[in-house]
Amino acid sequence: MAKQKLSGAEIVVEELKTEGAEVAFGIPGGALLDLYDVLYKEEAIRHILMRHEQCAAHAADGYARVSGKAGVCIATSGPGATNLVTGLANANMDSSPVVALTGQVPTSVIGTNAFQEASTFTITMPITKHNFLVKRTEDLPKVIHNAFYIANTGRKGVVLVDLPTDILAGKAKVDLHQKETFAGYKPNIKPNQVQIKRVVEILANAERPLILAGGGVISADAAVELRHLADFLGAPVVTTLMGKGAIPENHPFCLGMAGMHGQLYANRAINECDALLALGTRFSDRTTGWQLDQFAPDATLIHVDIDTAEINKNIQVDIPIVGDVKLALSGILKLLEKKRAKKSESEWEKRIKKMHEACDSCVEDISREGASVSDILIKEISRILDDDAIVTTEVGQCQMFAAHYYMTRKPRTFISSGGLGTMGFGFPAAIGAKVAAPDKKVVDIAGDGSFLMTCQDLATCVENDIPVVVCILDNRYLGMVRQWQELFYEKKYAHTGLGITPDFVKLAEAFGCYGERVEKPEDLKDALNNAFESGKPAVLDMIVGKEDKVLPMIPPGGGITGMIGTERCKHI
Amino acid sequence: MQTHIISLLVEDNPGVLTRMSGMFTQRGINITSLTVSPCEKEGLSRMTVAIEGSESELEMVRKQLSNLIEVVKVVDLKENEAIIRDLCLLKVHAKDSGARLEVMQLAESYGAKILDAALDSVTLELTEEPKKIDRFVDLMRHFGVKQLFRTGVTAIGISAGGGVEK
Ligand SMILES: Cc1ncc(C[n+]2csc(CCOP(=O)(O)OP(=O)(O)O)c2C)c(N)n1
Ligand SMILES: [Mg+2]
Repeated sequence: MAKQKLSGAEIVVEELKTEGAEVAFGIPGGALLDLYDVLYKEEAIRHILMRHEQCAAHAADGYARVSGKAGVCIATSGPGATNLVTGLANANMDSSPVVALTGQVPTSVIGTNAFQEASTFTITMPITKHNFLVKRTEDLPKVIHNAFYIANTGRKGVVLVDLPTDILAGKAKVDLHQKETFAGYKPNIKPNQVQIKRVVEILANAERPLILAGGGVISADAAVELRHLADFLGAPVVTTLMGKGAIPENHPFCLGMAGMHGQLYANRAINECDALLALGTRFSDRTTGWQLDQFAPDATLIHVDIDTAEINKNIQVDIPIVGDVKLALSGILKLLEKKRAKKSESEWEKRIKKMHEACDSCVEDISREGASVSDILIKEISRILDDDAIVTTEVGQCQMFAAHYYMTRKPRTFISSGGLGTMGFGFPAAIGAKVAAPDKKVVDIAGDGSFLMTCQDLATCVENDIPVVVCILDNRYLGMVRQWQELFYEKKYAHTGLGITPDFVKLAEAFGCYGERVEKPEDLKDALNNAFESGKPAVLDMIVGKEDKVLPMIPPGGGITGMIGTERCKHI
Repeated sequence: MQTHIISLLVEDNPGVLTRMSGMFTQRGINITSLTVSPCEKEGLSRMTVAIEGSESELEMVRKQLSNLIEVVKVVDLKENEAIIRDLCLLKVHAKDSGARLEVMQLAESYGAKILDAALDSVTLELTEEPKKIDRFVDLMRHFGVKQLFRTGVTAIGISAGGGVEK
């Protein structure tokens, strides 16, 4: 292609388009005037003006998780960039592909404490997969292309590009759309065939096989392969928080989420299995518990992950496979089908089907002895929403109520902050989700504490016609912390009471949103209907028990067979 | 605990050293020695890092380093398969001619170069395996070491090639 003389800002925007970016979430500032001047005329990129940069990053993250494409966020130098930090760390922890563009002071004054200068490059180094500080306008085509390439391949993650004003304003003759990559970046996606054969041998002979599906299954778009394998093997599937949606939770082989706030029988199954196929998960302590001798003690452990550095990090495994989960699963299936016919129903399968009936997020029975208002509300939401609806969550009890009781039926419809556990994530992530999938219903299951951290972006929703619905589990507490204080700190509620919280209905109305209070679970259906019917962004203030607890749970230091609060579980 | 030497080929970009050392800091691993220099390939630098840690820590570090986009190659150099060198400059007290003579004789027996001799001190250079330098320096402490500089280790594998190209 012939070289063209363009400004840095023009190059950035051209390359964004080449990489398929259709939306950017951002806030301008002095250091970005040149970039925004180009965006002003640009019709192929929809820019959504956010009200806080943290929300821009979360929205890009939510957009990425729903669409499977990299999300783009933009912030100015100094405070704009530092405001992005939480959002970037969050996306990177959950391997969500995000490309962040930040303004920077001119190269001539970098390092002088110039106005609105912060060393974004050094600040974001440990919370990104990679970052660039661009020093020459002519480097931009390669940098932007590689930002997307790196964000979107291998173990996905965040790439930040720091753009000094003189680099954006400066002109250069460049070759657009070049595809040159970096010598040191060769994502390893092809699984080793010898390892696949070993895995097939183990799985074919296992009596009690189990699949643990993590976020990697969703990120690799491997849900179909996962289901085939589960069906063929008669192997139950449990998921991590990030893996929710990898298999429909009403599938008879699904036992729901495992781990600290997981399903009683998902954890039991891990304890009982004789072969564990872990897919795209990093065995976080939230999944394994802390007594590792209870975690699949009799099983041959197989770990498929795209990131070599995850192998043998938290758990020593018997057979590692480094590579793309989708490729690994199809490889395993192909050999397995050759090796043996589908078996008739085993004892294990019969047991699994029973266990499935006891799984809170897998079956629709609503209230039972000991259920809290919070439990019931989430189960109601689960019943009311259709299979395609997208649920995001804040962090706290609200998140774990949602994880435990919400029946996720499709991949990329349960969006939650797994690794970082960021309060304030759910609402802006819902904005990104709704922008990625405007035809789907998007609901943020929120806590009152969390929502107050990012609620200013209701303005963004109103302004840009992004009708998401925020359902607050209003307990007037930083509930999850309070729960720990109740259970493990003699009920000393140190600074977890939220005291006088705002009237969330009026707050919604003040922004021009729809607001309604839900005093009783039976009123939820109408309220949700009203919210969707209003066509506006909406806030439902759902009053719940102040001391509702998310149970059962693995207490700190416990193992997966040591859940407490199991009285309320259905026992088989 | 054991000393491991890792040799890296990295892109010669500003910030690559911060990125690399940050990786160690984040994981609480102490770098005992670090050298950076140009290498046979233009645009790339060679880093030699000595760390202390267990086999499993080394394994983790190796993987994490290869994950860095600017790291092109990671080689874990085993002591018996590599030539390891450290350069030491030291200024030793020589309070009289007797001491001076003794210092110079010992230096010679270690193959150290005498760079400068003054009335009250001798300046020496020794390029050797780190352990041998340790012994030499210990010896010189009897006379009193005024100043000591060491570059840190650099190392080259004995067999041709070696190391994992990513
Ligand atoms: C940004 C941030 N600050 C603090 C915490 C620690 N934290 C975890 S859960 C929680 C309480 C959340 O309260 P709320 O949003 O009301 O949800 P609830 O637990 O009451 O459902 C806190 C403070 C966090 N996860 N994130
Ligand atoms: Mg609360």
